[in-house]
Amino acid sequence: MYGALDISTSGMVAQRTRLEVISANIANARTMLRADGGYEPYRRRTAMFAPGDPGASTQAGRQLGVHVADIELDRAPFESRYQPDSPYADAEGYVKVPNINTTVEQINAMQAARAYEANVVAAETTKSMMAQALRLLA
Amino acid sequence: MIKDLNSAGALPTLDAMMRFAGARQRVIAHNVANWDTPNFQPKDVSVSEFQRSLGEAVARRRAFNGGMVGDLPFEGTREVRPTRGGGLELRPETHTGGVLAHDRNSTDLERLLQDMVENANVYRVAADFMRVQTQRLHAAIGERVA
Repeated sequence: MYGALDISTSGMVAQRTRLEVISANIANARTMLRADGGYEPYRRRTAMFAPGDPGASTQAGRQLGVHVADIELDRAPFESRYQPDSPYADAEGYVKVPNINTTVEQINAMQAARAYEANVVAAETTKSMMAQALRLLA
Repeated sequence: MIKDLNSAGALPTLDAMMRFAGARQRVIAHNVANWDTPNFQPKDVSVSEFQRSLGEAVARRRAFNGGMVGDLPFEGTREVRPTRGGGLELRPETHTGGVLAHDRNSTDLERLLQDMVENANVYRVAADFMRVQTQRLHAAIGERVA
């Protein structure tokens, strides 16, 4: 049953990582430049989950749980805004802005938070079962 | 005599129930953790199959010596296998998913949590019964020695 706690923890870690990726997307919803100052709108990132937990200490543990397999760049095209005064505008006066929709990110953040809670509930249930087993000794 | 202390009455059956519920908790936690993993199809072990197999084992034990003492001849099911150390190894194969979502995941969180609560209750019931049995044993020992 200790394994069950490991599994729920892996779920919490994965959901937190996903929430961090979503936070970065929201924070960079208006980011137009690279860190070195060059013009390149921020690309949306998504955390990709896969079953199994490579960080687990046992063979059985590696097959159960969940982990973030990859953080991928969203290949959707950048949005275009008509801003002829911008120094980054193209010949027709359009500026490319990040392909991030903050509403979508909010919804995803809610889902990640709910999934985190579900894992917490699973961990709590496991803990109460352990307490039951320990009471056998009393 | 000492060997029979741990295999008296319903203890082996309760032991199997607790082991099963404890191992199944891992399976359910795995399904909860992968609630929104793309392409994940939740799998569980069949409780009814386990119950039937456990019932048959209890009947065999009863036929053998009236069911008062002795190990439980539990042979396991397609998904539940007894291991050498007395534990149970689960190989979930029963699909429990609901509607397939657009990310090819069919997990039903409500059903999953219902399974989890029911499983925890099974564990609790087995643990409570076992505690009653051990308390009775304590009482019996106490009267003889003191």
